[in-house]
Amino acid sequence: MGRALGSEPLGTTLYSGKRPRRRREWRGLKDTWYDYTRWLYYLFILAKFMMKPNNFKGFFRYRWMSNYLAVPDFMDRHTEGLRGTALRLAHEGIGLIIIDMTISLTDIFKADPEIGNDTELSKKMVVFDENMMSTLMGGFRNLKWVSYEVPAIYTSSFMCQDGVMHYVDKTHEYGVPNDVCPMPAAELGAALEDDLPKIGACAIQCNTTCDGSLMGGGLMARSMGIPTFQIAAPIRHRQESVQEYAGEEILNAIHFIEEHTGEKYDWDYLFENMDRFNQETKEFLEWLEINKTPYPQLLGATLGFYRYGVYMAAGGRSPVFLKTDKKITALATKAYQNKEMACKEYRHRAILWGVQAAYYTAFPNWLMNCWGIVPINDMLCCVSTEMVSTTDKHQALLDLGYLYENMIMRNRSNGGYETGVEDLFRLCEQMNVDMVIMYVHIGCKAMSGYTGLFEEEARKRGIHWIWVNHNLMVPLDGTRRDMRTEVNRYMRTILKEEPVDPSLEDFDDSLCW
Amino acid sequence: MKDLKHLYYFEKLLEDSYNDLCRQAQAEGYKAIGHVCFQIPEPLLNLPGCFSTRLRAPRTGSIEMGTYYMSSTLCEACRAYLERAIEGGFNFLDCILAPDACAQMNRCVENIERLKTNPKDSFFVTYADVPMKSDETALKHYVKQMRIRVLEPLQKNFGIDISDEALRKSVEEQNEISRLITAIGEYRKYESPRITGYEFAVLCLATYCCPKYLLKEKLQETLDELKTREPDPAGKYRIRVVMVGSEIDDPEFIQLAEECGALVVADRFCFGSLPGRQEIILNDEEDVLTQICRTYLQWGKCPRFFNQDKIMERRDYVDQLAKEYHADGLIYEQIKFCDYWGYERASAFHIMEEEYGYPVLSVDRPYAVRSSGQLRTRIQAFVERVEMKKLAEAKAERRAQ
Repeated sequence: MGRALGSEPLGTTLYSGKRPRRRREWRGLKDTWYDYTRWLYYLFILAKFMMKPNNFKGFFRYRWMSNYLAVPDFMDRHTEGLRGTALRLAHEGIGLIIIDMTISLTDIFKADPEIGNDTELSKKMVVFDENMMSTLMGGFRNLKWVSYEVPAIYTSSFMCQDGVMHYVDKTHEYGVPNDVCPMPAAELGAALEDDLPKIGACAIQCNTTCDGSLMGGGLMARSMGIPTFQIAAPIRHRQESVQEYAGEEILNAIHFIEEHTGEKYDWDYLFENMDRFNQETKEFLEWLEINKTPYPQLLGATLGFYRYGVYMAAGGRSPVFLKTDKKITALATKAYQNKEMACKEYRHRAILWGVQAAYYTAFPNWLMNCWGIVPINDMLCCVSTEMVSTTDKHQALLDLGYLYENMIMRNRSNGGYETGVEDLFRLCEQMNVDMVIMYVHIGCKAMSGYTGLFEEEARKRGIHWIWVNHNLMVPLDGTRRDMRTEVNRYMRTILKEEPVDPSLEDFDDSLCW
Repeated sequence: MKDLKHLYYFEKLLEDSYNDLCRQAQAEGYKAIGHVCFQIPEPLLNLPGCFSTRLRAPRTGSIEMGTYYMSSTLCEACRAYLERAIEGGFNFLDCILAPDACAQMNRCVENIERLKTNPKDSFFVTYADVPMKSDETALKHYVKQMRIRVLEPLQKNFGIDISDEALRKSVEEQNEISRLITAIGEYRKYESPRITGYEFAVLCLATYCCPKYLLKEKLQETLDELKTREPDPAGKYRIRVVMVGSEIDDPEFIQLAEECGALVVADRFCFGSLPGRQEIILNDEEDVLTQICRTYLQWGKCPRFFNQDKIMERRDYVDQLAKEYHADGLIYEQIKFCDYWGYERASAFHIMEEEYGYPVLSVDRPYAVRSSGQLRTRIQAFVERVEMKKLAEAKAERRAQ
């Protein structure tokens, strides 16, 4: 018990088999104080959020809002076992996402006809698909990008492991087979349940992650009650021949928004935002460079969550993210120079490939604390790092088109063998990795199609390959404990290793948030 | 009805991908082009010097190797095709020209390529990016992709003539087949049809899997035979249905439905004739490739087209077919694990019933149906339901009079 990494047996001190934790983690006086004040800060943010009448009404109007009661626990999960800089990086990165979410929800409830009914605000809103980049909105100075599917479904399931299962069930009751991805299924379920706000002047949808996601969007458009436009981003996004079409589709979307909102696209404003976006990309590349070394700093969930926020949601429009980026870079660089570690032992360097389980985003923390497996990078972060033109309109369109082809998840689930398989092994070499944790998302057809090829390629290269089954937002199909068991089995039977923290090897968290 | 003279001949052709006609065409020097999806227009694959054959895996048994490489949660058709490729069933192909239309079929083709299942040194695969919308921007992209992913590779690798004249010739050849199939299919509209859904499916399927120029004679003779064929007495089949959905590359499923009393009068599924076996009308003003691509974009009824106009168009099209072919109900089917049709049939179950007024059966099925008792029960129950509805309507009508 104390400041040192791994000084507490986390499995027995934190988990009781019931929903709340036994107690807070003791990390030494300085880190515990820092962590506790941040925890209080989140409570303060939530209380402030609930003080607003619209938000209070929204809490009782929408079933999914109850998941946000678990925000403090969510932060505890994602800082488990961390000390020093790693702890601060997690709070800086993930904490900002939470704050940003409360701002977004406040706007949504204000515009919602059933709550704030601010029709003027609603007319200024453009609704985007979940899992879709907001970047093209960088040219509309007076419009608001909003994606209500993100707080309703995506982050909801991060907060509470069974938080969106009700909606998935609704979609299956409607008749959609239960082998499809639970994410679009949950979104459609919320729409069928009339549990999404009716806001916005128009909506932009996209063939984002997978065939299921695309189909869910088509059905949801029926319930939106506003004009919708579908961006068809090319699937074979590595081919040069598709880039022109990708750019044209972005331009078509811009024209559509202009037509339905009366706003004119402001290219100077776009260039200003893209300049910020490019700077953010440069910061991200710095983090990857640090992660290539024996002292990686931005790891697992911290890297994943924050990258999602910057790349997909913020899209260069918010100066706060760039400020936080720079702060993170400074902290990480210093920690690297001081050879700081994020867990007690670094036994294996791993890449997390495939789609993570939304109900167990803290899984990378467990990998570190239990087995010393360091999640150096994950698939969701391996997105485009190309710069967007800030001077040439045509080039900027092509660059935006390329970004939309390379949205998180989509750029790996689409594009063929070279993006899904070849790139992984190239990254393994680049990042000096000896292990791949392969998430098998049961409903994800795109990655499952490479099952045999993955195994053969890993065997050829001598890379440890651990399959971890889950069903994204339906923990019943592969519980958190099941996921851990798959790693435990490999570590014990193949590698003959003993856990770093034996108390974490097997514990019951089925009732936890 | 008396058996069609050539039915057994066509059935035999469907028993193997590398059938007698494919062998004959290859012996005559034609290149065999494998294709996997409607999204690559067939006339581009049937230029002088080559013929297309759509991948199928008839008489599929175990798909263990396909499952090892692609997991047990992927479309069984895709797994069966991969299995067949590993077994050497597609070794006769000279290339596969595939679109990246659905992720699962794409993975199937990628596995076929990466596992080097085809021993020919000159064998190659291309992947075209095909649009998911049907507007003019999409058309431009489609034309470009077809040129660089289909026509140019054929010219470069096999010296195939890809000129406008060659394309026109290929279109005309397909039109000849389409005219025959359409004329044969017209007999399904009769109150007592002179051809069953199963028989029609066999003939139509053969046109997707065999060199077209070798089929004309037998199809013409079958059409002539139908003109005088004595139909079954009215009432042999209890209801008439439109079959809608994903790939049906084995007519046994149609046979199963008809054994249960549901006569399949219209085939709105992948490998069916509606759409796909209509004439392609060419003008002299626009380049031929653009015209072909436009026709296929307009024809396309796959749920992967996700713009709202196309979504509405798909439903209206099924409604139009049901009226034209005097159907009593709709069967929406999908091969299990197909995301596109999983959503499409779920929504159709509600929308086609509530907004268009048709009784709808929504089923998912394995790739090889054969003697599936579950499917038989589902279809039988549907037939009874539609019959009851018809009886109730007739009763209400009598009362009203």
